[in-house]
Amino acid sequence: MSNLVKSELFKLRKDRSFWTLVLIIMALAVSYPPFVYFVLGIKSTSMKEILSAIALEGVNTYIVKFVPCILAGFFISSEYSIGTMKSIAASGNSRIRIYFSKLLVFSLGAAVIALIFPLIMPSVGLLFFGFYDMPRSDYIIQTVGLTILYACAFASVMALFAILFTDSGKTIGFLIISVSLFDTIMYTFAQKFKIVDIIYNYSVSKLFLDITKFNLGNEELFKLMIIPILTFLLVGWIGSFIFQKKEIM
Amino acid sequence: MGDYILRTTNLSKQYKDQWALDDVNISIKKGSIYGFIGQNGAGKSTLIKLITGLAYPTRGELELFGHSSAKELVQARKRIGTIIESPALYPHMNAIENLEVHRLLKGIPGKKCVKKTLSLVGLQDAGNKKAKNFSLGMKQRLGLGIALLGDPEFLILDEPINGLDPMGVVEIRELLKRLAFEHGITILISSHILSELHLLATHYGIIHKGKLLEQLSAVELNEKCQQYIHMKVDDPNKAATILETRLKTSHYEVLPDGTIKLFGYLDNPGKVSAILFHEGLIVEQFMPMREDLEAYFTNRIGGGYHE
Repeated sequence: MSNLVKSELFKLRKDRSFWTLVLIIMALAVSYPPFVYFVLGIKSTSMKEILSAIALEGVNTYIVKFVPCILAGFFISSEYSIGTMKSIAASGNSRIRIYFSKLLVFSLGAAVIALIFPLIMPSVGLLFFGFYDMPRSDYIIQTVGLTILYACAFASVMALFAILFTDSGKTIGFLIISVSLFDTIMYTFAQKFKIVDIIYNYSVSKLFLDITKFNLGNEELFKLMIIPILTFLLVGWIGSFIFQKKEIM
Repeated sequence: MGDYILRTTNLSKQYKDQWALDDVNISIKKGSIYGFIGQNGAGKSTLIKLITGLAYPTRGELELFGHSSAKELVQARKRIGTIIESPALYPHMNAIENLEVHRLLKGIPGKKCVKKTLSLVGLQDAGNKKAKNFSLGMKQRLGLGIALLGDPEFLILDEPINGLDPMGVVEIRELLKRLAFEHGITILISSHILSELHLLATHYGIIHKGKLLEQLSAVELNEKCQQYIHMKVDDPNKAATILETRLKTSHYEVLPDGTIKLFGYLDNPGKVSAILFHEGLIVEQFMPMREDLEAYFTNRIGGGYHE
């Protein structure tokens, strides 16, 4: 399996769509604090407010949920259209290993994308606003860890559809529409059906909104950790099962 | 395993209500160059996909290197190099990077093999050129290079000479011969260019509408290829009438360009030419010839000659 992971890592390193997305998000993250300082004229703010802005204003929520959809299309589905999926599938590696190596590296890419904003924006913010009201290091570690877990869980769901579709355009379009409508649809049905309400409350899509909360209790923190891990494993297993059965034309 | 690299028993594949492969029993001997012949949609690519594990058989058995269980087949495929339908290349990567992806995938230690492979397929000067800027012929060479990484024992090549210029065709032919005869690599090659296949293959399999019609060696093919008298006369219709009335034979074929193939009187061509001359026909060409693979194939799948 290490061969497959090394090969996928090499491809991710050479993936232009990945680097383009990374550079765009980096540029946004770097330009946000000077925008607040110079354009909005806010000369003093706390680090907690900066972090809240990332979380509550939903900047990173959109990045984590939408940007990897594009990567899924180019990194996974395009392998079908350019024909390379055939040579990978015929390489004498089991389909399960092929799928999980692809999922692992795609998740890594999604995690990198998810961490750019929360890591770069506060760092640049320090230059403008100083260390006033800086959160404790355990909070930063916890938030970074949860962001990685949720990025991987979302990546697992995206990889499932990316492996199902054989065209990057279809994958990107389907995923963006699905992600856009998921919360609205689930919220609507949750009002009418108790079971949907329970599923939605335990979904990564809903729980992701809570990961930057301050003063999380142990029970809540455990829930926030275990759900994305289970989602990653369960959806990953379903994806590998589908890929194993799929005939590559 | 014995002498065989690949053996199938009643291998069949159904897509919806159509059988793409129907009880195919194929066997490929170690060290042979197996030419796989069939029209578009005959089932060549389907068979290749079943061998390489891209698709799964509806029924029947597949044996690779003597292994036939699903788990063993996955392992056996590590010993195969493939080009399936078209060379699988990452267009934004250069030739070296494309080979590097597959070197890592196959777990081949060291990077020496990348340069060695580029030289082997004649792309030593194009290593840093992006694959998207390659000509079709260069793509084929790079695809072949990728298939050759890891020193496979069995090469499966689907249309590997498509798009190559005449010199390229000769080079690839010589390379494949060298791989088979010097390195003992078994090659399954499907191609529409039958004249080229004829210069290369040691064995043939003819597939038509999902059924394997025939497997034969090059020696057997030569024996089976019919001999005939090739004639060109000023009035082919009159010549045809003469053949039927004076020589009492219908075993001939009038081709669209007016030439006639006469499958008989090979032991007495003088009698034929004398009668034609006597009937006032001008004989422009007259020589004994042998059918080539293309003619044999057309005949075998029912393209038909006049009998």
